[in-house]
Amino acid sequence: MAAAAAAGGTEAAAEDAGGAAPCAGSGRAARLPLSRVKALVKADPDVGLASQEAVFVLARAAELFVETIAKDAFVYAQQGKRKTLQRKDLDNAIEAVDEFAFLEGTLD
Amino acid sequence: MAERPEDLNLPNAVITRIIKEALPDGVNISKEARSAISRAASVFVLYATSCANNFAMKGKRKTLNAGDVLSAMEEMEFQRFIAPLKESLEVYRREQKGKKEARKDKDKKADSEEQDKSREDDNDDDDERMEDEEQNDEEEVDN
Repeated sequence: MAAAAAAGGTEAAAEDAGGAAPCAGSGRAARLPLSRVKALVKADPDVGLASQEAVFVLARAAELFVETIAKDAFVYAQQGKRKTLQRKDLDNAIEAVDEFAFLEGTLD
Repeated sequence: MAERPEDLNLPNAVITRIIKEALPDGVNISKEARSAISRAASVFVLYATSCANNFAMKGKRKTLNAGDVLSAMEEMEFQRFIAPLKESLEVYRREQKGKKEARKDKDKKADSEEQDKSREDDNDDDDERMEDEEQNDEEEVDN
């Protein structure tokens, strides 16, 4: 019993480090692998080095972006009374939302 | 190798999970939509990086830091991301600090153990350390 409790304590600490908080929210660790995000950063010839923190914030920002664009696109699926998000919903969202203007012409 | 930067894609499984968690239960996404969102996310990172780099250059720095990325969000009109990103960054910094201290303790312990035990060839430790060092090189303490 005591041994199990001790093991449980270490597990909890490991979980905290992994960011597996009960309430999904801002404090979570990045789910996108930092190595892939870093590869994208390095693809820019004008960019020198990037701190680990910068790569982390970019990863988290990309996750927030995915959430945002998915939700905005879903509005159009709902309008079409569909439960499946389709490519055209995304195209509609990109056209309608100013912040997504940078995506125009890049997804084909 | 990738032909264009946008081809550097992010893992499908993770992208799909993020999408599903953002949408109500029972909603599906077509493969085309998922793929397009994934590509959009890559373009987003590229654009944000370029934007952040402008701020780094303005500050006469050659290393992008977290502040540059946050400034880029403002510039790109994703202000609503800034507060949650700052929160995540705080948690990340605390975790990194914890890991650093654990590494220091581990090194101290390893040193004292080497004096006691007879050697076993342990290549794994060396590899781990190299990876950590690589991370340390690019780590910048910034505000």
